[in-house]
Amino acid sequence: MPLVQLVNINKTYQLGNQQIHAVHDFSLSIDRGDFIALAGPSGSGKTTILNLIGCLDKPSSGRIEINGVDVAQRSARQLSDFRLRELGFIFQSYNLIPVLTALENAEFTLMLQGVPKAERRSRVTDLFRQLGIAGLEERRPNDLSGGQQQRVAIARAMAANPQVILADEPTANLDSHTAIELLDLMRRLNAEQGITFIFSSHDQQVIFRARRVVRLKDGSLQSDSLESAE
Amino acid sequence: MTVKLFRLAWRNVWRNRRRSLITLAAMSLSVMLVQGSHNLSVGVYAQMIDNGVRAGSGHLSVYVGDYARSRDEKLTFHRADLQTRIAALPGVAQVAPRLYLPGMAQSSRESRGILLTGVDPEVERVVNPFLRKLGADEMLRSIDGRDAVIGEKLLRELQLKPGQKFVVTVQGRDGELASELLRVRGVVRTGMRDIDGSLVLVGRERAAKILGVPDAIHELAVILVQAQDDVTVYPQVVALLGPHPGLRVVPWETAMVNLANAIKFDYASQQVIFIIILLIVTIGMVNTVLMSVLERMREFGVMRALGATSRVLVTLVLTEALLLGVVAALFGTLLGSGLTWYLAEVGIDLRDYIAAEIEFGGVVFEPIIRADWDWVWMGKLALWVIPLSVFAALYPALKAVRIAPVEAMRQV
Ligand SMILES: Nc1ncnc2c1ncn2[C@@H]1O[C@H](COP(=O)(O)OP(=O)(O)OP(=O)(O)O)[C@@H](O)[C@H]1O
Ligand SMILES: [Mg+2]
Repeated sequence: MPLVQLVNINKTYQLGNQQIHAVHDFSLSIDRGDFIALAGPSGSGKTTILNLIGCLDKPSSGRIEINGVDVAQRSARQLSDFRLRELGFIFQSYNLIPVLTALENAEFTLMLQGVPKAERRSRVTDLFRQLGIAGLEERRPNDLSGGQQQRVAIARAMAANPQVILADEPTANLDSHTAIELLDLMRRLNAEQGITFIFSSHDQQVIFRARRVVRLKDGSLQSDSLESAE
Repeated sequence: MTVKLFRLAWRNVWRNRRRSLITLAAMSLSVMLVQGSHNLSVGVYAQMIDNGVRAGSGHLSVYVGDYARSRDEKLTFHRADLQTRIAALPGVAQVAPRLYLPGMAQSSRESRGILLTGVDPEVERVVNPFLRKLGADEMLRSIDGRDAVIGEKLLRELQLKPGQKFVVTVQGRDGELASELLRVRGVVRTGMRDIDGSLVLVGRERAAKILGVPDAIHELAVILVQAQDDVTVYPQVVALLGPHPGLRVVPWETAMVNLANAIKFDYASQQVIFIIILLIVTIGMVNTVLMSVLERMREFGVMRALGATSRVLVTLVLTEALLLGVVAALFGTLLGSGLTWYLAEVGIDLRDYIAAEIEFGGVVFEPIIRADWDWVWMGKLALWVIPLSVFAALYPALKAVRIAPVEAMRQV
């Protein structure tokens, strides 16, 4: 059974009296351990699809199954809990909470789950070491570089041991050197721990590092290949 | 998780330090103002009640039947041992017997309507604030002498001078008019025109002899050490009245309805102002919390994407308001205590603002007004500020969760 299955998804937005087809008859099957890049020009529907998989948005038609369960059948509360326990999120602009330290940011989902402090600490400290940001625990996001902030965000996404980590343009705000470093880190976590990553990007160098590339054009699937293009 | 959320809320409060400080200042100053003016009122009322009961009918007074309302001169009684037994009760400072006889006073030139009041000079001297100012040579010397202490206005209208004689005429119990020659010994000025124009104080026995009923009185005015002791003293006086059917004990609120109502009305109108102040502060609070929520919409969207329920976010926003409320309550009470301390120790000297005495509910204001500590009320007000600020955060909190996470994250 695939981890995530999108079947004949359509997503339309009403903008005034104009209908925008953000995603058009899109189907995709994601397996456990996949390392997928969503590629495509601006406006092609990458963010929309990530939001749908992340249960942050509902499709206009079609079906989304995660772990064999139809997402449409779940209540808002269940979806919250599902995001908390099974999904991890990484955002383009890091979106760390500015009043919390790096450590507290990374613990956030564990805190929401009610995990005891000692356990949270050891888990997050461990992650900080793996991600190469040990020693930055007490810094506030404002006192970290973009690359460091995004690593904290990865720690936050990984802390709760999710099934899938969704990352919408995680490297868009980083210089190319840092971007590639971050991608290699994600890929290592994928290889070593089997975490499923789905990320979107414009950047050929970043897309190049994915094992599977899903190309979109105007909201439709253009290609789905196991080898990266170039 | 609760502890963590508390810490997050606390840090969020101080995120925009200046805005929070301004809000806290507004809230604290309002608490201070309300507490201070409440305490000042309590002090002024206490003083007015004290003056009122001393010059008037006491904290508690003993009458025959409905004398308190009807003022029927026939309703006299004999003290027997009542005066001493009531005076012996714990909490009672003085018991003043009085006889009130309406009548006429005539000098060689003029005549005026008066209220001939028979008193116990020694007791009255201690009790009545206006008599305390008199020198020893101006006070009644005995319970049955011909000395009289009269109101300043009456003295002027009768064109008398201290030491001169005048005649009072009242209706005796037998229905005949009875006259008596008295001599002006002292003059009092209370500031109340009615009293200053009609008061004639004489020894109690002298007045009773004119009435033709020796030892008769209309009233036993009971002065307490502390006004709030009336609840404990009242039933004991009721018990002492057991063997005296027809006698009743009445609290000052009933005996001096005008004063009681004036205070009630004054305090009610003050409470309206208090409510308006708190309402304005609450609206300011809504504004502060709403601004801080609108600035953080993106953050709320992120938190919900990460799996925070809307309940967590509502709790967070309400906790922030709660913390603001607690700080404002504490700090405001601190300021309120400072203000009350000043008003209690130094007071406000009204002599700079008003020329003559001001009469309020039949009682004269003291020119220096002072606050009294009402800790219980101050605490209650402070405790009210907290739910009020949480209430103010309800709408902003709903605003934070009504928007979908995707929409919220799209905001800058
Ligand atoms: N809330 C919305 N209302 C109206 N139209 C929207 C909304 N969100 C997205 N769209 C439209 O849907 C289409 C797909 O948008 P989406 O954000 O998924 O593209 P994208 O591939 O992520 O683009 P980019 O690379 O610029 O981030 C675009 O045409 C966009 O204008
Ligand atoms: Mg996008």
